[in-house]
Amino acid sequence: MTESTMPIASIRDLRIHFRSKAGVVHAVDGVSFDIRRGETLGLVGETGCGKSVTARSLLRLNPMPPGIHAGGTVEFRGAGELPVELNGVDESTLRAIRGNRIAMIFQDPGKALNPGLTVREQIAEVFYQHRADELLDDIGLTDRAGLVRTLIAREASLRSRWIERGLLRVPPLRAHRAALRRAVDDRVTDALAETQIPNPRAVMDRYPHELSGGMRQRVMIAQALACNPDLLIADEPTTALDVTVQARILDLINDLQRRHDTAVLYISHDLSLVRRVCDRVVVMYAGKIVETGPTEDLFANPSHPYTRGLLAAIPSASHQRGALAAIEGTVPELVDPDPGCRFATRCGFATPMCETTDPGLAPVAADHEVACFIHHPVPGGVGPAYEKAAT
Amino acid sequence: MTSVGSHPTETGRRDVVLAAREVAKHFPIKEGVLQRVAGHVKAVDGVSFEIRRGQTLGLVGESGCGKTTLGRVVAGLSEPTAGAVLFDIDSETLAAYDGGSSVGDIETAHKVDALTGDAYRRFRRNCQMVFQDSFASLNPRHLTIDIVGRPLRVHKEASGSGLTERVVELLEQVGLGRQHLYRYPHQFSGGQRQRISIARALALDPELIVLDEPTSALDVSVQAQILNLLHELQQANDLTYLFITHDLGVVRHMADHIVVMYLGTVAESGPTSAIFENQHHPYTKALLGASPDVDAAEEFTGLEGSVPDPAHPPQGCRFHTRCPVATARCGWEVDDVVRWIEDEPGAAGRLAGVKRDSAFAAELAFDDAATAAVVVDAIRSGRIHASMPEAVLKAESRDSRVDVEFGAVPDVELSVRGPGHVAACVHESLLDL
Repeated sequence: MTESTMPIASIRDLRIHFRSKAGVVHAVDGVSFDIRRGETLGLVGETGCGKSVTARSLLRLNPMPPGIHAGGTVEFRGAGELPVELNGVDESTLRAIRGNRIAMIFQDPGKALNPGLTVREQIAEVFYQHRADELLDDIGLTDRAGLVRTLIAREASLRSRWIERGLLRVPPLRAHRAALRRAVDDRVTDALAETQIPNPRAVMDRYPHELSGGMRQRVMIAQALACNPDLLIADEPTTALDVTVQARILDLINDLQRRHDTAVLYISHDLSLVRRVCDRVVVMYAGKIVETGPTEDLFANPSHPYTRGLLAAIPSASHQRGALAAIEGTVPELVDPDPGCRFATRCGFATPMCETTDPGLAPVAADHEVACFIHHPVPGGVGPAYEKAAT
Repeated sequence: MTSVGSHPTETGRRDVVLAAREVAKHFPIKEGVLQRVAGHVKAVDGVSFEIRRGQTLGLVGESGCGKTTLGRVVAGLSEPTAGAVLFDIDSETLAAYDGGSSVGDIETAHKVDALTGDAYRRFRRNCQMVFQDSFASLNPRHLTIDIVGRPLRVHKEASGSGLTERVVELLEQVGLGRQHLYRYPHQFSGGQRQRISIARALALDPELIVLDEPTSALDVSVQAQILNLLHELQQANDLTYLFITHDLGVVRHMADHIVVMYLGTVAESGPTSAIFENQHHPYTKALLGASPDVDAAEEFTGLEGSVPDPAHPPQGCRFHTRCPVATARCGWEVDDVVRWIEDEPGAAGRLAGVKRDSAFAAELAFDDAATAAVVVDAIRSGRIHASMPEAVLKAESRDSRVDVEFGAVPDVELSVRGPGHVAACVHESLLDL
């Protein structure tokens, strides 16, 4: 495989468990998928299915402890870089990737932005962290040697001590520091303007609470895309927003993605949105993948009973009132789960085999895999079938 | 319900369970050490509707449009600043009230915040509420039996073992059981907690339940369970629902009649089928266009801009600042010019001051004469909005000042568009736009 066809990130047999009073919770239990360059991959599932934990493992943001990395690899291949196994690297390598090569947009911009910093300060931090060299370029200090360059370089990468900051107030250095500030401001303005924020110069000096929900989400997108990441993780980016704003934000992410050729991992519980936004979809249930495939195919031929159930549960005009196809029961406890299919307890087609044997993903069509015995009967075993249940 | 029916409610079979007439709720904005009232946030500003027995009224709108405030006013949790909420009234009396005859008598008998004594207790037990966040609305230190049994205890309906039996009966109605009696709210899942909220609301066999986003915190598969349950209960107990939500898919599924609110007022209201088939307000159209339907694959679009400040709602049609089909008759005003100057850097310089004569006329002061000329040009050439030149009466610059005046436009009134279907828009129809 050449570099351009290699997936940008590969998760293989990832297992993340959490220690709790009741026992070990198998939040993510053997999840494998690829994120391809430039695509939008949807990760869908209900509350507690492990979709956020999976996504966070790409940035190693899961708190450990109580989390336990119980196995599996997360490999990331940035453009023109060697593959990195994110669970094996040290903190400093990880810091260089976070916010730079892989960025994240969180669900609630009201909580994810620091209420004590202005928009300018929050976005500037990204540039100071990851683009210190380019900032020096911007103010023409790269080729200079000596104390001035050293001090400004340290200031540009947020490494200044208090004594250095004091020195930078002295006249000859002061001009350089001011130039650095201007260079950062220009970059922050550009980043904000990319997200179609009107009047970025004025927004820059505001605090998050002064902005509307949609504006805050735009600020967070500006921050995430500031360094042109290879992979953007969007964790329910529009759940906290109104529908009228939601469409704008999704258009914006889509547009920026196309322009910068960024891959997007789009996490959502909303199937109708995923259908609009994503190229491929991964459906998770109780810590495992139940179905994955291209969006068109998956929505046209949903093959796992859970995916079918989810689609049927969305209220629409065609449903008779009071006759929504609810999936009865609740998500099973993930403390020491049974070896079989996790959906068996709620599945209308379950057979005794489903409770003891894990079906595992197997292909049903090109690029379309399902973890259900209906589609890949085991020789000798009595598997379930849609027809049988219908009679 | 089986064991109830003996309680002394004497509410008749009057056909309108609840009617709102020009209901307004304003919250004061207080400022300074003395907490001087500096203005009012007009959360709800003149809303009228009625709910007939056994029907479901859907109340939709974006966050901040006043739908929750209206729900709270209707349920008697806060008093309206103006207008009346009339409970359990027949159509003839309501028509007489609208016609202005014997208003005082009707208000004493039906107006919620004027009711006293037994009449008020009757309203309280017949109007219950289910809240959005079941975590926040169930006391974490109380057991299920206390939570669901509390209304029965307060209204002296049951006690002792009779109470336990009633609670079990209620829990069974919502799909829970005896084993759940002695558990705390945190021991339940989100869907189960919402079921407990519904059981509590059902305890006194009410006529009306105000459902404030009952499913928006739930997953789709659980949401489907709850919506089915609500429908079954409505059939079995002849309930009337006021269903507040922002989810158009849910409201289409549940409601017989829909009221679309924007910034404290009704933008459009009508039977569900009429609203979904033929929208007469561009806001309704935008809302529908913005919510993706899993069955249909058409493009979805959003709206520019954000909801204006409800302390200073726009003149004319409140939606004109974001409306894709706004015309000169929609209420262009000084604030629209000010907003443009603030949002478009480089297009015009800084605004130094505004001296308002009214919402439609003001003197804008700038730092220099060039800026003033740019602003006048922007107003006259339609750069701010294509229909603005038609609405402007005067836009002249004097040195660094600009006198601007727009033709005053009254608030857009609701007009009839079909049987039971009203909309507040200057356009006769949106079909050819």
